[in-house]
Amino acid sequence: MNKQTKKLNQFNNELDKQIHTENQEAYTDIVCYLRGADISEYNQEVIRQDLLDIILSAQKRGEHIQSVIGADYKDFCDDIIANLPPRNTKEKALEFLDIIVYSLSILSAINIIMADETIALIRNFATGKALSYMISISVGNIISAISIIIIAMMVVRIVTKNSFQMGKKEAMGKLKVFFLCAGIMAIFLFISWVGKATLFTVNIFAACSFTLALYIIHRILAKIQ
Amino acid sequence: MIPSQMLKGTLENCILKVISYKETYGYEISQELQKYGFSNISEGTIYPLLLRLEKNGLITTQYRESPLGPKRKYFSISMAGKKELDLFYSNWMKLEQAVNLLFQDGGQIK
Repeated sequence: MNKQTKKLNQFNNELDKQIHTENQEAYTDIVCYLRGADISEYNQEVIRQDLLDIILSAQKRGEHIQSVIGADYKDFCDDIIANLPPRNTKEKALEFLDIIVYSLSILSAINIIMADETIALIRNFATGKALSYMISISVGNIISAISIIIIAMMVVRIVTKNSFQMGKKEAMGKLKVFFLCAGIMAIFLFISWVGKATLFTVNIFAACSFTLALYIIHRILAKIQ
Repeated sequence: MIPSQMLKGTLENCILKVISYKETYGYEISQELQKYGFSNISEGTIYPLLLRLEKNGLITTQYRESPLGPKRKYFSISMAGKKELDLFYSNWMKLEQAVNLLFQDGGQIK
């Protein structure tokens, strides 16, 4: 998120607090649906700002969101999205790369902190024993990182695309839910089965530098988007 | 109430006409349209159309401070918008004439 978008985002977040309880659900569903649309983050915030003006003005007049927007919120959102420029391939690629790099930096940091070797290093440092700076990266670490990123992206997509149905009616069939849960369980069973084998070892400072480099790349990508 | 199918295509230009009178904002446009008999035209109906007019360069926008908090978007007509209005009105007159002719003198023209 670049500086201009971030500023608008923070401004909108503050104004969100003024939305009355009875309008909150519809407003949240609309924003959630717009988040999944193929429009730039900046345009999402601009639309949010306009919607806040529409809704807060309606509230002041004692009107409900439905009386100003209509009953079909999805139709309203689709009309808005159709009239905004879609993101081009470069923008999409940059956003995708940013998500991957940022996710990897977080997962890498968690992996370093949670590694047995890190805990042993701290313990040995405190007790004055010989120090080993190497941490092992297992097959499980790699597979779980890839799985977490893919599943997280799928969940975000499902939630944003179905924001108007979720919680109101059964959005997914029982069979679909069963296969989704079974699929996730199968992935984690597979990770625990093959995951223990060490793929390579790496110096903890090199791992930290790699994590920091990923985070810096994320910051740069966020600024240029 | 005018059916929505009938309004399609004309409402956008009627919004443009309202904007041509003075710089205005969404709610004011919906209120102005209601004065002329366009019933049940909410801000939600006209907002996507305003975005389309903006995208097509027929109107320009400017944000101004509002006492409620969020900045309010004000719309003005552009030169391209003025030309579009002239074209729309000329086409509308032709359509109106043709429809009136059909309904009033239908079956008489040889």
